[in-house]
Amino acid sequence: MSILKLSEPSLVAQPGPTIRITGLTKVFGRRGQETTALSEVSISVKEQEFLCIVGRSGCGKSTMLNIIADLETPTGGSVDVGGRKVGMMFQDANLFPWLTVEGNIDLALKLSGVAAELRKDRIQELLETVQLAHVATKRPHELSGGMRQRVALARTLAQDCEILLMDEPFAALDAITRDAMHEQTERIWGERALTVVFVTHNVREAARLADRVVVMKPNPGRVGSESLITIPRPRTMEDPRVAEAAALLHDMLHTQEMPDD
Amino acid sequence: MTDELVKPRVSAPLTERGARVEVGAGARLWRRVWPPLMAVVIVLALWQVVVTVGWRPIYVLPAPAAVGGALSEMLVDPKFWSALGTTLARAFIGFGISVLIGSIIGLAVSRSRILRSAIGSLITGLQTMPSIAWFPFAILLFGLTEQAITFVIVLGAAPSIANGVVSGIDDVSPQLQRVAHVLGARGMRMYRYVMIPAALPSYLAGLKQGWAFAWRSLMAGELLVIIAARPSLGANLQFNREFANAPGLLAIMIVILVIGVMVDSVFTRIANGVRTRRGMGVVRL
Repeated sequence: MSILKLSEPSLVAQPGPTIRITGLTKVFGRRGQETTALSEVSISVKEQEFLCIVGRSGCGKSTMLNIIADLETPTGGSVDVGGRKVGMMFQDANLFPWLTVEGNIDLALKLSGVAAELRKDRIQELLETVQLAHVATKRPHELSGGMRQRVALARTLAQDCEILLMDEPFAALDAITRDAMHEQTERIWGERALTVVFVTHNVREAARLADRVVVMKPNPGRVGSESLITIPRPRTMEDPRVAEAAALLHDMLHTQEMPDD
Repeated sequence: MTDELVKPRVSAPLTERGARVEVGAGARLWRRVWPPLMAVVIVLALWQVVVTVGWRPIYVLPAPAAVGGALSEMLVDPKFWSALGTTLARAFIGFGISVLIGSIIGLAVSRSRILRSAIGSLITGLQTMPSIAWFPFAILLFGLTEQAITFVIVLGAAPSIANGVVSGIDDVSPQLQRVAHVLGARGMRMYRYVMIPAALPSYLAGLKQGWAFAWRSLMAGELLVIIAARPSLGANLQFNREFANAPGLLAIMIVILVIGVMVDSVFTRIANGVRTRRGMGVVRL
């Protein structure tokens, strides 16, 4: 059995997807010098699916995530998350530097409307989830990059989101830390029954994490191909099957024809 | 024989090698205090040299010792303390009103595009206006009263404070705002929990500059707006000039300088504390 199956593009007809992206188009810039970041992108994400989006820079993958997170408005098309709560993590942790680790999570809980008397226990629980209970009172600048990213993850989980969007969250981490983050992310994804959309330019990371990988093409950004990764979990970056799947994804990424003009 | 070929390397015991000289609290204080102390000593020495050379007659430019004498005499005079009280009360009220007005205007301008284009550059313009230029108008409006002084202090200090708020909020990282937006911060809550705390260092810089302007405006005001039976530092300065009491005049100037520096150093300490907690500030390389 193959470790990677090309799947039919966009299961739009699938019953009750968690995220339904239909004909999404985004045009930047002024009239006369527009750039089309996304052109007619349609993707459906199943409940509790781990979807990776890979593509070169400029293929609109971050733009798509921003639109799902309501940080940008689409020029055309629509995104439907069925009223579910959406959390998002970025490449940089972006912790609030004036707050401690606890304070960062506390603020996220407060903004989600969690009552003050419940927050203390929730902070403790979230810090244990990312295994950082021992740095609760530290300031962000006193932490390593990996720790900061774990605090950012805890802060995102504080919203009790059902959908977790991750925009190259581990791109700036060293390989060892990144491996550990993959394990934690996978564990939390399972424990909390999250639906994850994970953007990366690292095909191996995609092969390590994803149930399904969408390869996007640039100029204008659109869906190139979709593949199911059927390697059983738990996986590791060193797994030869992961490497093999990554090589196939790599080929898909690089054999993309350039647009005619 | 072998013991000559293979010699174990003996390293010094850890306690000796890693022994750190414990720095006592006294030594630490001394390290902070000596540079400014040195500067004062140099200034006094130069001053003494100028006096000794006889550049100006001694009754116009007295020696440091004479001024020191006048200062210590002044410090035990209850009239001086009541004058100081008046001046500090004016500074406190004037600066307090400036903080209130400056902060409100700053927040309003940072939020509203219309307000920004309407009065944004006016605020910076006001900042460059020498506050003493306001006094004739202030005296016309309010007469020789406390209000005239307060009016000019506020005009001098509030623009700096407002500018601190505006530039602080303009400089909040867009990425931080995106994170906060995804976390559910909207409208007032975005301001309260994200924008204002993020703008704090710039706000403190604005307060510090506002204080400098307030103190200057106040001294100009006390020289011009002399209210009968209300002695103040500025009024005393003027009287000492009229009575050609140079040591007394210089003693008051020293007090004015010291108060200005003391308040400024409070702001500096607060600002440094905020910066250190956020991992900002100069890195020694």
